[in-house]
Amino acid sequence: MKKIYTAIMIGLTALLSGISCNKFLDVVPNDGLATIDMAFNLRSTAIRYLATCYAYMPNDGVPASDYGMLTGDEMWDLVGRIVSNTSARVSNNLFQIARGFQSASNVYGNDWASMYEGIRCCDILVENIDRVPDMTEQEKKQWKAEVTFLKAYYHFNLVRKWGPVPIIRESLPMDSDVETVRVYRDNIDDCFDFIMELLDKAYPDLPITNLSTDEYGRITQPICAALKARVAVYAASPLFNGNEEEATLTDNQGRQLFPSKTPEQKLARWTAAVEICKKAIDVCDEANIKLYDGSTIDYRLVDTLKRTLTIRKAFNERWNSELIWGNTQTASSLTSIFQQLCMPNMTDYTHSLGGYRFIGVPLKIVDQFYTRNGLPTENDTEWTTINPMELKDGTEDHAYYLKKGYTTVRLNFNREPRFYASLGFDGGTWLGMMTKYNDVLAEDMNYIECRIGGKQGKTGSENGPVTGYFPKKLFPLECTMTGNNSFTSYWFPWPMIRLTDLYLLYCEAINEAEGPNGAHSADLYKYLDAIRARAGIPDIKTSWDQFSNNPGYYNSQPGMREIIHRERQNELVFESQRYWDIRRWKTAPSEYLKNIYGFTITGSAPEDYYVRQLITTQRFGLKDYFWPISTYYLERNPNLVQNIGW
Amino acid sequence: MRKIISMLLTVLLAVGALAQTKTKTVKGVVYEEETGQTLPGATVSVVGSTRGVIADLDGAFEISGVKSSDELKVEFFGKEPQTIKVGDGTNFLVKLKNQATELEGAVTVAFGKQRKESLIGSVTAIDVATLKVPSSNLTTALAGNVAGVIAYQRTGEPGQDNADFFVRGITTFGANTSPLILIDNIELTSTDLARLQPDDIESFSIMKDATATALYGARGANGVIYVTTKRGQEGPAKIFARVETSISQPTRMVELADPVTYMKAYNEGISTRDPLAELQYSFDKIEQTGKPGANRLIYPANDWYDMLFKNFATAYRANISARGGGKVARYYVTGSFTEDTGILKVDKRNSFNNNIDQKTYTLRSNVDINVTKTTQLAVRLTGNFTDYTGPLNGGNDVFKQVVHSDPVLFPAYYPVDDEHIGIQHIMFGNYDDGSYTNPYANLVKGYRDTQRSQMIAAVELNQDLSFITPGLKFMTLFNLTRLSYYEVNRQFSPYWYTLDSYDSYTGEYHVKRINDDGTDYLQYSEKDKTITNTMYSESRLNYAREFGKHEVTGLLVLTAREQLNANAGSLQLSLPSRNAGLSGRFTYGWDKRYFAEFNFGYNGSERFHKSHRWGFFPSFGGAWVISNEPWFKKVKDKYVHNLKLRASYGLVGNDNIGNARNRFYYLSEMNMNSTNLQATFGEFRGVTYKGIDVVRYANEAITWETSYKANYAIELGLFKKLDVIAEFFTEHRKDIFMSRADIPETMGLQAGISANIGEAKAHGIDIQADYKHVINQDMWASARANFTYSRSKYLVYEEPEYPESYRQHAGYSLKQTWGYIAERLFIDDEEAANSPSQASFGVQYGGGDIKYTDVNGDGVITEADRVPIGLPTSPEIIYGFGTSFGWKGLDFSVFFQGLANESFWIDATADYSSSKVGTAPFVHNTQLLKAYYDSHWSEDNRDVYALWPRFSSAYENKNNSAVSTWWMRDGSFLRLKQLEVGYTLPYKWTKKLRMENLRVYFQGNNLLCWSRFDLWDPELAGEGLNYPIQRTFNIGLHVTFK
Repeated sequence: MKKIYTAIMIGLTALLSGISCNKFLDVVPNDGLATIDMAFNLRSTAIRYLATCYAYMPNDGVPASDYGMLTGDEMWDLVGRIVSNTSARVSNNLFQIARGFQSASNVYGNDWASMYEGIRCCDILVENIDRVPDMTEQEKKQWKAEVTFLKAYYHFNLVRKWGPVPIIRESLPMDSDVETVRVYRDNIDDCFDFIMELLDKAYPDLPITNLSTDEYGRITQPICAALKARVAVYAASPLFNGNEEEATLTDNQGRQLFPSKTPEQKLARWTAAVEICKKAIDVCDEANIKLYDGSTIDYRLVDTLKRTLTIRKAFNERWNSELIWGNTQTASSLTSIFQQLCMPNMTDYTHSLGGYRFIGVPLKIVDQFYTRNGLPTENDTEWTTINPMELKDGTEDHAYYLKKGYTTVRLNFNREPRFYASLGFDGGTWLGMMTKYNDVLAEDMNYIECRIGGKQGKTGSENGPVTGYFPKKLFPLECTMTGNNSFTSYWFPWPMIRLTDLYLLYCEAINEAEGPNGAHSADLYKYLDAIRARAGIPDIKTSWDQFSNNPGYYNSQPGMREIIHRERQNELVFESQRYWDIRRWKTAPSEYLKNIYGFTITGSAPEDYYVRQLITTQRFGLKDYFWPISTYYLERNPNLVQNIGW
Repeated sequence: MRKIISMLLTVLLAVGALAQTKTKTVKGVVYEEETGQTLPGATVSVVGSTRGVIADLDGAFEISGVKSSDELKVEFFGKEPQTIKVGDGTNFLVKLKNQATELEGAVTVAFGKQRKESLIGSVTAIDVATLKVPSSNLTTALAGNVAGVIAYQRTGEPGQDNADFFVRGITTFGANTSPLILIDNIELTSTDLARLQPDDIESFSIMKDATATALYGARGANGVIYVTTKRGQEGPAKIFARVETSISQPTRMVELADPVTYMKAYNEGISTRDPLAELQYSFDKIEQTGKPGANRLIYPANDWYDMLFKNFATAYRANISARGGGKVARYYVTGSFTEDTGILKVDKRNSFNNNIDQKTYTLRSNVDINVTKTTQLAVRLTGNFTDYTGPLNGGNDVFKQVVHSDPVLFPAYYPVDDEHIGIQHIMFGNYDDGSYTNPYANLVKGYRDTQRSQMIAAVELNQDLSFITPGLKFMTLFNLTRLSYYEVNRQFSPYWYTLDSYDSYTGEYHVKRINDDGTDYLQYSEKDKTITNTMYSESRLNYAREFGKHEVTGLLVLTAREQLNANAGSLQLSLPSRNAGLSGRFTYGWDKRYFAEFNFGYNGSERFHKSHRWGFFPSFGGAWVISNEPWFKKVKDKYVHNLKLRASYGLVGNDNIGNARNRFYYLSEMNMNSTNLQATFGEFRGVTYKGIDVVRYANEAITWETSYKANYAIELGLFKKLDVIAEFFTEHRKDIFMSRADIPETMGLQAGISANIGEAKAHGIDIQADYKHVINQDMWASARANFTYSRSKYLVYEEPEYPESYRQHAGYSLKQTWGYIAERLFIDDEEAANSPSQASFGVQYGGGDIKYTDVNGDGVITEADRVPIGLPTSPEIIYGFGTSFGWKGLDFSVFFQGLANESFWIDATADYSSSKVGTAPFVHNTQLLKAYYDSHWSEDNRDVYALWPRFSSAYENKNNSAVSTWWMRDGSFLRLKQLEVGYTLPYKWTKKLRMENLRVYFQGNNLLCWSRFDLWDPELAGEGLNYPIQRTFNIGLHVTFK
């Protein structure tokens, strides 16, 4: 009896503790877990994979993730003025680049890895999309085209920063051996050709316009053509096109990453760019993309105000008629923080956190704007005898620009409308935050007082202003502050490419390819003058011939080049283009020499305030043309070589 | 009760006596042979009959109806039973010896016990008495008390003060370095170990080498801590009670600069970096604040430390247990209560308590029942409950906040003035927009409640199978553990007030409210809730038998464990964790001289792919007891009572190789709704598609790491007084899970790739020595010492092929720090400009900032110049030594503990998070340490070896905060860990109170400390601004009733 009992006990326990041990350990339900293949089981999941490919787009339009915004010398952060960063209100990583702290061991703004992740995702979608059962062939083609475009765009982002980079024709399988995955950098021409090849491949299957407003932000033919135009002009620009200064950059196989070129070869890039730009403009025409003319402004405004508002809205009105590519990826909350960071305080609360005025505009950008005659101040005969720093009270004829009777300097008088549309400054008016806009009178307008004691003046070490100038262009009319600490932002898709940008690329290509009076000269003047007309200044010939100290300057290729560059700087100011443009033109050294100046924001009397003060000395060397590749990456892949100087 | 039983027995015996002829009554007293003390409760029975009596309080017994031919059997738990012939005697003095195999000679080993003599593996059995420290946290007693354990404590906050401890140091750089903790066979956490009452512990062993741990297969590689609780004893009920009260205070508080100095230094930090910049504090404010008698509402000067912290905290501990039983059932029942409080102040205006108050209740019942003559059933029930109330984010956070609060911007609160009469809330001070830290307000504005409840139920069945073959036993056990935890916060939203206006002539001031979103009532928020269920079952077949000189044992164990976690957070984590295994042990001994042992563990873990799921971990060892050799006898009798050599070698695994999120390495993990990789489109950004993200790529080859352990030991016993065990070990850890370093980013992988490729090595020594000397009947002395040394190094660590050899990990300690070599401070800006560029730190630097050595000589200071600096961050040496002596009822003991071969780094960053707190002054309003002010570089005093470099206010100077030799400190220390004086009342007095024993004692803990570092307690290492380690004074009373 006892033995039987014991035997049963042993048996039971063995069962309890040991029931087929392997089964006991199979805790994961079969086929129950998600794998990458499942992404392509249905259209509704596949579209999430498409989103994943888009998700790697940099969040342009906010200082923490826009690589051209606070990285150069177009805007300056309070941090760079008071040697402080008590607040995490703005991510300083990219601004560190402007301050000269970029280094290979700690690369600021390093999206190298995430760009390559994005590229791999694009390849995975192209490989797998055909398996999705509930999609039309047409839609599959379109998605493939979209991600092909993105793959090109991600490569372009890499090239823009690092120059020659390894191009990924096809993503390598996971089980590739170590030698295969240790890729080499491709030479700069191969990089550009590959990008343009991808764009050509993407183009045919893209829609000419988005099918519904829900698809705004998705890639269309005009976007593809316009990016190609930008890529072609970059490829032809001196920085990338047979750049002799970079001739010593060779990899460990001895291959030159910037191949030497004959002048003819260099010119061929420009000639090609002319056609590519022209084609892009044609596609935009076809898609009914045209210069914004203010026709959506419902308010009755005097011409002066209507003009400046049109200029602002061409940039910051949602989906306006000249927007080619708007970036919908940047979260509204980020845009909101950014707008709040730059906005001057417009309330009665002196400590209001509504507007931190954290970001200001250096005086060199202020100087760069044209006079009312559409000329640089140094070329305008009206300005030759003027001391721009001379104090002057606001006058009746400037009443909509400047508070009448308010003391400011001559620098702020008689400038082109884009100056008043783009900049807020001490004594300047601010169209916005008003109870009524129809028939607004000059004396009813908000204006800025940013000397000590003024509403927008310095109140503590934490708040600005930085230089005394605010990037007004970045604020849509709808941005308001209603009380202490309350701020209402207005989201708009950040313009990645707008029509004036494309026009200017075209003009630049024409002038470089054939000079101002070549076969395309009619187009050159047509598009330049169209931009100037919208900006409210005379056409090129009138301006230079009637008001300048150098008539006919536009007739020479270098003269025209300077005019186009300046036009581009003024038209696209604060649009994160300057950082890249002055590099590709190789004019950055002279631009950086101008350093960062601002007015004396601690002054309260005009004579104390209106003194130029050096905020930061900037330096620019050969190495600064390109970003350093992270030392960490070089250590992981010894086949990569570092850029010169890092 | 007991009286009734003995009366009944007497009646029974009397009835029996009537039936007998020529009987007599015999008397006697039962003594303990070793001490001569009487043994109340000893049972005396007549062999071959059912008659018997129990010795009374004085150990005396009387039994009638005994024939001369009868034999009496005298038994007492834990003693060798003795049989005496009655013969002609009527009065007996019975002396019982301690049962060698059961108590002194047995050591708890994996799944059983072994005689100390035949032990081959490396197992440290700890004298439980040494763990009785005046703390409610058992883990704090480990350091220096246990040979083979590296332990240290990094915070003194009640409830959070678990020491970090590692068996033989840290020997892997994988995810899990903690030992397996088993309490009564149940796998539990270090918190459960911490809450254990030393009074309830029967045995406490540390298993260190392969033969000791191989049976735990894939879970034993980091060593095993094995604790058993007391079980019932046959005999009359004994009641033990212990009550303690202690007060504690920080061993050392960090000294801060006074408010005026703070302001001056803040301004210095601004002007020294940018002479044109606006100063933070006006000269007027500094001057007025410094004036004695200044209005502190207008010119606040807060000593936050004083305002928030009391001088001492109190704690209470009580423990009561009853132990006893009869032939059929035996019990051990215990209940304990501890209460620890913190040193935080409470605002009297609030009705709640925001100070730390942790109450722990433990109930434990261990009952053994003899179901049949050969079947024993044990039932154990344990409940452990912790109720905690404390500050909203814990005590460490309060300390951190204090250090990060401006002392001069605003007072802690404004008194209610005429303007504000009638308001219901405290008028907390703040500034500007109310975004500044007011630590006082943050402390008193609310409190946190947490409750942790753990219930354990275990059933154990022992079956003696000697009827099948002698020496065969079977045991099976099953237990369930349920742990639940929740956390609730209740708090006000403070109303902030700031100074609105002040007239310096009239002294009138106005205070205004900053925010309108405060509350007068408590608000509520729910935090973590977890429930964990664990089930474990185990069956053992045990065989032990002696055949003449041959001693053979065998053991087979089947185990299965399952753990489930509610609120796990993800599908993969919600799946049960399971573990199953078969282990065995076979030992052979010959003539008590030669011993050999073979162990194995065959384990499976649910984490790995089928093809790599099961692992086999064998180990073997041998021992030679020289002192039992016949030729050694002469020496043995005179000098060396014990001399034994032993060695072992084997494999043990560790399946806990990555973080919990990455459980199933063989499966890929996707986030099919990733918000990180989502994209948005549409006119108003109205259409968002979530993305698809690879969290982990599948890798079927991933498996456990394996440790190859070797152990060599010598045991030496001299003069029957001194016992020394010295062990030397080596360990080679292979297949350590780590991320691959050779996949370039251009592959575009969304997640890292990992593999079992790392290897590490360790070696070390642990020595323990015990000395006991009874001088005469009234006087005894003892001493003990132990020493643990463990050094580890990387063997294979995949990383890029750096051109600089010193950057490779291989060859360096697993706890090595890499950092810059700081030469000194720059003398001036010119020197800085002409030295190798340090721009990679991303800040402007100049005179008074730290100058680093350009080790690779490339002209710039970069990551590549970081060299291995200092000693490991976890100590390599832990030691302790102490002595005790007694004279009559008085006893005295003193114990020292220390650690060595450890470096730590002062955190010179401005980091301020839950896990880190930097000491960089001014940033985030961080206070200035007095020591920093007393020794810093300034333009007037260009001390290039000052403690703190040139001040930089309001931003962290990354040039100076980098990890470098500048901030490196020697972490070694020696402390007077414990001092104890006790007095045991003479038995003749306590006897009258029906007590067997009454002892009062006084203890002091962490009384003194010797170290080269003096800013804070060196045991806190780099986390000096945490809740400080406590010095404790304790008074206790220990009583045993019978």
